[in-house]
Amino acid sequence: MSKFRKGGKKGIPGVNTSALPDIIFMLLFFFMVATTMKEVDMQVEVVKPEASQAVPIENKDDVDFIYIGFPIDAAVGTEPRIQLDDRLAPNTRAVGEWKLLKVREGKTVVKIVTSLKVHEDVGMRLVSDVKEELRDINAIKINYSADKVK
Amino acid sequence: MARREVGEINAGSMADIAFLLLIFFLVTTTMEVDAGIGRQLPIKLENPPDINIEINKRNVLEIMANSNDQLLVENKWIEIDELYDIVLDFYTINKVNKDVDINMPNYTDVDVNICNTEINKLNVLLEKDPENIVFKTEKNKWETKMILCKSIDGGSYKEMNKQAIIQLKNQGGTSYGLYMEIQNILKQVVNELRVLECERLGFPDYFELKEQNPDDQEYIAKLRVLVPERIIESKIDR
Repeated sequence: MSKFRKGGKKGIPGVNTSALPDIIFMLLFFFMVATTMKEVDMQVEVVKPEASQAVPIENKDDVDFIYIGFPIDAAVGTEPRIQLDDRLAPNTRAVGEWKLLKVREGKTVVKIVTSLKVHEDVGMRLVSDVKEELRDINAIKINYSADKVK
Repeated sequence: MARREVGEINAGSMADIAFLLLIFFLVTTTMEVDAGIGRQLPIKLENPPDINIEINKRNVLEIMANSNDQLLVENKWIEIDELYDIVLDFYTINKVNKDVDINMPNYTDVDVNICNTEINKLNVLLEKDPENIVFKTEKNKWETKMILCKSIDGGSYKEMNKQAIIQLKNQGGTSYGLYMEIQNILKQVVNELRVLECERLGFPDYFELKEQNPDDQEYIAKLRVLVPERIIESKIDR
């Protein structure tokens, strides 16, 4: 019977791992394609409201983002604050100056959309002040950021 | 000399390198897609024209939200899910049949003759005051209406009262979440009505129209006349 089983010890062969790099590369490429770079480090917590009518922002290069939410760092306080790029703004006046500094070459401030990413529990007082400030410098195109729901 | 065999490069650490890259991308990127509702703030005029027109109450839909996130619409306390029907009524209740609800805005027929007389009137005004921005935009509007009339069978369309506006009033403590819910409902009604108009008049798909695209601009201008989106936000109560 043992015609085909010639004696000698038989170990279990090791798993061939030569395809492992390929699998990892595939995952890597998936993430490179499916994600976008984070714009800023968040200093405020923003839980965006939901909206069924929200439409994706198409040309992200022509959009400035303003974040309004509750500070993550407890030492700053608990009142809602405005974040411009990576910093917290000292007051609403700073919004106008910041927006004017960010105007791209060959564009006017009217053409550049300002996306407001506001925490849903923030009061309208602060949002309204920011809008008034933007209106003063003629940055009238705004976009209320929201999570798209069906 | 004997040829020496070139040793194979050890590729065992390739997986580790790929892992490192993968983890880098996982940390520095986000999955979320930026979406939102676009709006335009009113332009600040240096010399605001002295407008003192008496506005009929039926043409104003007043939506007030207080600091406790309660809604007062046309002097009635309502829940947020009732708002959709009220806004839809505001737009459509008097459109087919005249004066079904006398507390909502009326519709009038606009045809080529009316457009012509209005444009002529504005031309006279513009001759006296060629730089007046109010007259200029008004003339532009009537020209769009003229094109619209000509492109519709029968040469006329029903226009919502020109004074019809939706007025949003907030208090300092009104939550942004509620404000966005209101904005979303207003947008939803307008979008749905514009989709209907697109189907009726054989325009391309409304959600495919892009403002950057010159071919689409005419359609968008026409839809803005047919289903106007006039929202006024009052200064908040402090």
